[in-house]
Amino acid sequence: MKEVCRETLERAYLFLDGEILSAVERHQIQVHLEECQPCLERYGLDTEVTILVARLKGSHRCPDGLKAKISDLLEQA
Amino acid sequence: MADTAVPVDLSSDDKKRFQQEALPLLDSLYAGALRMTRNPADAEDLVQETMMRAYRAFDRFEPGTNLKAWLFRILTNAYINTYRKKQREPQKISTEEVEDFDMYQELKNHDPEFTKSPERIVLDNIVDSDIIDALDDLPEQFRMAVVLSDVEDFSYAEMAEIMDVPLGTVMSRLHRGRKALQKRLWELAREKGIIKGDGAPGKSDT
Repeated sequence: MKEVCRETLERAYLFLDGEILSAVERHQIQVHLEECQPCLERYGLDTEVTILVARLKGSHRCPDGLKAKISDLLEQA
Repeated sequence: MADTAVPVDLSSDDKKRFQQEALPLLDSLYAGALRMTRNPADAEDLVQETMMRAYRAFDRFEPGTNLKAWLFRILTNAYINTYRKKQREPQKISTEEVEDFDMYQELKNHDPEFTKSPERIVLDNIVDSDIIDALDDLPEQFRMAVVLSDVEDFSYAEMAEIMDVPLGTVMSRLHRGRKALQKRLWELAREKGIIKGDGAPGKSDT
């Protein structure tokens, strides 16, 4: 992988994760992704997998019994 | 659990505030504990212990800072100190072999044209239980990084606090964790027959 591709993707992941980037950095990412198909596809794939993992949000709720137990313990403590 | 019996010396305002603010985070804490311990009984114990530790330490919590991150830090410490010792890591994926895996390249090899969006074929056939299985197979540090970031939406800085490591380590673990997850998902896709062959150039679509 070319150095420019590696660097762009590293920054693009920061963008994907909602970390703060400067306008210049965001622009550089955008320009590179527009002209480099493999990077665009790679970034798309990594985004997809991240979205898959995000589907687990809220999929395991704390059992009601445990909530009640902890509530009681806090009352007594 | 022995330490739940220790009396708590909090003002009644603090007690009320803890109940109001921390109890609504139980679902997140339980989900996090479950991914760490991979076992519902241990996850319940871990959440209970976390809440009791947090309650006793609540006078040291700085109001206005992120309570969820603070609780996850306590959860992580409690897990490392108590539960990890009795768990065996399955290590279906070692931390070293991850470096080389490149799902994009595997997909390319499988379908050089990348025409019918092969990631759709793989990703559309992956169900939530596959993701959980894949996550649970990852080395613990990778698993935690991916879960804290992608399920619990913590920032890099918050993850650095929670895992007590520098920011660069957070980014490295997250990056390698995602690669490891892709590798495991790729293997699961093969095991399930979503992808046929070994995915190597010229050997696919037998």
